[in-house]
Amino acid sequence: MSLLAVDVGGLTLKNPVLTASGCFGYGLEYDDFYDVAELGGICSKGLSLHPRAGNPPERICETPAGMLNAIGLANVGVEAFCKDKLPILRERGVTVVANIFASSVADFVAITERLNRETGVAAIELNVSCPNVTEGGIEFGKDARMAGEVTRAVRAATELPVWVKMSPEAGNIVAVARACEEAGADAITAINTIRGMSIDVEQSKLRLANRMGGFSGPALRPIALRIVWEIAAAVSIPVIAIGGISTTRDALEFLLAGARAVQVGTANFVDPSAAKRVLDGLREYCESKRIDVKSLIGSAR
Amino acid sequence: MSTRVLAKRRLVTLTLLRRESIGGLYHVLTFEDPDGSVALPGQFTMVRGAEWGDAPLLPRPMSYLSGGNTPSILIKVIGEGTVRMGRAEPGEPFTLLGPLGQPWRAPQPGRRVVLVAGGVGVAPLLFLARRLAQSGAPKPIAVYGGRSARDLPLDDELAELAELHTATEDGSRGTRGRVTDVLGELLAADQDVFTCGPDRMMAKVAELCAARDVPCEASLETPMACGYGVCLGCPVPTTDGAYVYACTQGPCIDARRVDWSRGDHAPKKGVHAPKGKS
Ligand SMILES: Cc1cc2nc3c(=O)[nH]c(=O)nc-3n(C[C@H](O)[C@H](O)[C@H](O)COP(=O)(O)OP(=O)(O)OC[C@H]3O[C@@H](n4cnc5c(N)ncnc54)[C@H](O)[C@@H]3O)c2cc1C
Ligand SMILES: Cc1cc2nc3c(=O)[nH]c(=O)nc-3n(C[C@H](O)[C@H](O)[C@H](O)COP(=O)(O)O)c2cc1C
Ligand code: FES
Repeated sequence: MSLLAVDVGGLTLKNPVLTASGCFGYGLEYDDFYDVAELGGICSKGLSLHPRAGNPPERICETPAGMLNAIGLANVGVEAFCKDKLPILRERGVTVVANIFASSVADFVAITERLNRETGVAAIELNVSCPNVTEGGIEFGKDARMAGEVTRAVRAATELPVWVKMSPEAGNIVAVARACEEAGADAITAINTIRGMSIDVEQSKLRLANRMGGFSGPALRPIALRIVWEIAAAVSIPVIAIGGISTTRDALEFLLAGARAVQVGTANFVDPSAAKRVLDGLREYCESKRIDVKSLIGSAR
Repeated sequence: MSTRVLAKRRLVTLTLLRRESIGGLYHVLTFEDPDGSVALPGQFTMVRGAEWGDAPLLPRPMSYLSGGNTPSILIKVIGEGTVRMGRAEPGEPFTLLGPLGQPWRAPQPGRRVVLVAGGVGVAPLLFLARRLAQSGAPKPIAVYGGRSARDLPLDDELAELAELHTATEDGSRGTRGRVTDVLGELLAADQDVFTCGPDRMMAKVAELCAARDVPCEASLETPMACGYGVCLGCPVPTTDGAYVYACTQGPCIDARRVDWSRGDHAPKKGVHAPKGKS
C-alpha cells in the first residue's frame, strides 16, 4: 500500500497533491514539463454551461507576495471540455476533478448531467464562491441555506463524488461547510480567493478593469490555514486545502492542520512543475521517515 | 495559417554571466546556459531571481535579445522586479522559463524588412536583425525612437545591422519627433514591417501600414502571470470582437488582427471600465 494514498470521500487518490482550478488550464499545457497523471488529481478551469470570453483586460496584477485576478471565469464551456479536453486526459490516466459554476441551481444541475454522460471524471467540485462576476455564484457560497440547496441538487443529480469549494467571504464559513455536509457533500475544499483591489497611484487608476479581483498566492496562506483548521474541526467529511501552497512544507502545514489533501494554485505560475515538486518532496518526506501520509493528517491538532 | 513546431519549453536556473548597464536605466543581462536556448527572435522568457523568495512573486516577461549558450535580455528599470534585475551581480541565479510564445513570422519574400522599435522594444527586433544578417538577407531598414538619446539602448549595434533612422521627442538624437513621423515618410508598398514598443506607437504603426496595405507584425505587451497559457490573464482584444492570449497566440501577431483602440477602453482617471459580462 502506498504511503501517499488518501481517501477523499468515496474516492481514493494516489497521493494528496492536486492542482487548483483556474491555475492549471485544462491540464493539457504541461507536456513539456511533466506527466500530470502523476498527481493526485487536477481540477479543471471552472466550467459553465456555455463558453465564456471572460473580462476585458487588465485581468491580473501583482500584490505583495500575491496577486489579484479578475479573469471573469473565461472557459470553453462544459460541452467543449467533454469533447476536446476530457478524452485526452482520460487517455493519459489523469485523475480529473471537474470544477463547475453557474448562476442558478438549475444550471449547476445541467452541467452535472452533461458530465454524468462521460467517463473519466473523478469528482465534481462546485465553485459556489467565485468573487469575480456577480452572477458567478458568490451568493451561493455566502449563505448556508443556498450553499446547502445547490449541494443537495447536484448530489441528487449524480453518483460522482461532490466537493464544495468554500468562499472565505462567507460570514459564517463553518455554518456553510456544515450545511454542505448535511446536504450530502463528499468533501469540502477551502479556500477560494478573497476579493481585493489595487490602485496605480501614479496614474490614479484602478489596476483591474473589473475594479476588484480575487486575491491568491503565498500571502493568503495563513488565512487559508485558519479556515481549514476551523472547518476540519466542524465537519466529518474530508477537507481539501487550497491557499498559497507552493512548497512541500506549505502542504505539510495544511495536512497537519487536518486537511486530507491539498491543491496547488498560483504557485504554478511561478513554476509550471510546482505541484510535482510539492509531491516529490512529500514522497521523500514520508519515505525517509517511513510514515504513511495519513498519519500526518491532523497531527498538529 | 500553418502552425510552427516550437521548441520545448523549460524552466531552468541559470547563472548571470554579466550585466552591462546602459546609462543606468537599461541593462543587458547575459546568462550562462550550458544546454543552450533554442529561442527564436520574437519569443520571450519569464524571468525571476531564484532567490527572490515570495516577493516579487511573479516572473517578468522579457523578450530574448539572443539565444544559444549565452541567452540575454535587455531590460528597462521600471518597478520592483526590474530594479532587482538592474542591480544583479554576476553569479546570481535566475530562473528562466522559455522559450515562450510565437516568434516573428518569416519576412515575406521580395519585400524590404522595416524594423520599427520604441525603447526596450528594440530587443526582439535586434535579435531578428542579427538573424537576418546571419542568413545573408538584404540589410533591413530600422526606425528607432525614444524620449531622448538615452532611451535608444543598443542603437550602435542596430546601426551596424540595418539602415538606421532615429527619432527622439526632445531632438537629442536624429529627427525631433516620433518614430511614426519618420516611418510615415519612408514607408513604401513593397516593405514588410515588424514592430515592438509602447502600445500607442504600435497602434500608429499598424494604422500607417494598414492605410498603405503594407504587412505588419507586432509584438504584444500585456501583464502576464504564467506566460504559458494557463492563467488567462493576458487577453488582447481583436478586431473580430474576441480575445487572443498574448503569451500563447502572441506575442508576435499580425497587427491587423489587433483592436488597437483597446487603450481607449481602459479605465480612465477616476472613471471605471464597464463591468465585464459575457
Ligand atoms: C512578451 C513581453 C516581452 C517583454 N519584453 C521586455 C523586454 O525585452 N525588456 C523590458 O524591459 N521589458 C519587457 N517587457 C515588459 C516587462 O515585462 C515589464 O516592464 C516588467 O514586467 C516590469 O516589472 P517590474 O517588476 O519592474 O515592474 P512593476 O510595475 O513593479 O511590476 C508589477 C507587475 O506588473 C507587471 N508589469 C508591469 N509593467 C508591465 C509591462 N509593461 N508589461 C508586462 N507586465 C508588466 C510585472 O510583470 C509585475 O507582475 C515585456 C513584456 C511582455 C509581455
Ligand atoms: C488566475 C486564477 C484563476 C482562478 N480560477 C478559478 C476558477 O475558475 N474556479 C475556481 O473555483 N477557483 C479559481 N481560482 C481560485 C484557485 O483555485 C484557488 O482557490 C485560489 O487561487 C487560492 O489558492 P492559491 O493561493 O494556491 O492560488 C483561480 C485563481 C487564480 C489565481
Ligand atoms: S500569461 Fe497566463 S495565460 Fe497568458
